[in-house]
Amino acid sequence: MAKELTSKSYIDHHLTNLTCGKTESVGWTCDHNYYDEMGFMAFHVDSITISILLGIAFVALFKLIKLNPADQKPTRMQNFVEMCVEFVNENIKSIFGSTDNKLIGPLALTVLIWVFFMNLMDLIPVDFLPELTKQVSYASGIVDDPNDAYFKFVPTTDPNITLGMALGVFILTIFYSIKIKGLGGFIAELTLHPFGKFAIPFNFALEIMQLLAKPLSLGLRLFGNLYAGEMIFILIALLMFFQSAVFGVLGLGLHLLWALFHILVVSLQAFIFMVLTILYLSMAHETGDH
Amino acid sequence: MNINATLISQALIFAVFVYICYKYIWPPILSTMEERENKMAAGLEAAKQADDSLEEAKLTYEKELKEAKEEAANIVEKANKRSSQILNDAKVKAEAEAEKIIESGSKKLENEANKTREELKQQLSSIVVETASKIIDEEIDEKKHENIIKKAAKEI
Repeated sequence: MAKELTSKSYIDHHLTNLTCGKTESVGWTCDHNYYDEMGFMAFHVDSITISILLGIAFVALFKLIKLNPADQKPTRMQNFVEMCVEFVNENIKSIFGSTDNKLIGPLALTVLIWVFFMNLMDLIPVDFLPELTKQVSYASGIVDDPNDAYFKFVPTTDPNITLGMALGVFILTIFYSIKIKGLGGFIAELTLHPFGKFAIPFNFALEIMQLLAKPLSLGLRLFGNLYAGEMIFILIALLMFFQSAVFGVLGLGLHLLWALFHILVVSLQAFIFMVLTILYLSMAHETGDH
Repeated sequence: MNINATLISQALIFAVFVYICYKYIWPPILSTMEERENKMAAGLEAAKQADDSLEEAKLTYEKELKEAKEEAANIVEKANKRSSQILNDAKVKAEAEAEKIIESGSKKLENEANKTREELKQQLSSIVVETASKIIDEEIDEKKHENIIKKAAKEI
């Protein structure tokens, strides 16, 4: 019962996650036909797996390299790793001034490299991994129809992933706000600005929106950029429906061009995510001059 | 593309990786970098000091070289003076000696000449007496005419 391959089904397939979740009727399942029944208790297995693998890649890259002691010539990989650390530190210094916060450095480094790696998945040819999953799961009998095997391999095109990271940053922001200013100070910041104590409900509505807009925009910015990039790749790939050599070559050229341009987006978005993370945390550290 | 539990799991995974980075990745890299920074700063400082001391050593060296040259020139000058003095002295001495020798030589010569003259006088007087006696033949007694002979000798 293979579905007919249309441009709509092609795009849909590319935009659907491999999801496992709990359903009322059949319990835990990874069958996409029950997707709507899963509700909130669903996990995008593909996004999570890839992001964990890339996180491990990050840890491996930075942990397994040989660190020569200070009186020896650093190894090549060490130079690279130290360059990354230096870069992150420079950014922290320029945003924070000086800080004794020991978490901000590792946090920013993790964000930078991890998000960069996840974005980088976008540069793998758009059909490569989904098609591989289709064939493998069909051949191994997991699914009856290869088109039911979904695999979305760019984690940052999944809003759950980007918003999940933004949520982590948000929690840290709140934590440091309260830690630095005290609970009272934090609440005062939320309610007593910008119009003083006679307009507390209005102030609160305004400030809470401002507070919530930060993580939301942080997550959605990354998601939006990468999703759009991925979408363009998919749309260019649609040229294959013309089934002509000319369009094939055209598609190849366009893919190449877009991929080249996308290198910029990939690194820039990772950088922006890091800078905003640092910025929000530094705002949490600010006291008084509000 | 719904928002679901993936979000929560991702936040947790995020926390785990940040913790790993915080605990195991960041500190060793940073400490290595800081250590190297310190080492380099110390190295640069040492290099600067070495430069300074090199400069100082150069100055000292030049000064000492100059002094040594001056001293050497002094010594040479002194030696020259001394040698010319010695030469002079020797010359003077030699001249004096030569004069002395010449003087004594001429004195001796004079003495000799005087002596010879005296001897010649006496010999001549005796020759004269002999010859005269031969001529006169026993007519004149030597003893008798001693006065005359002496007188004659003196006149010669």
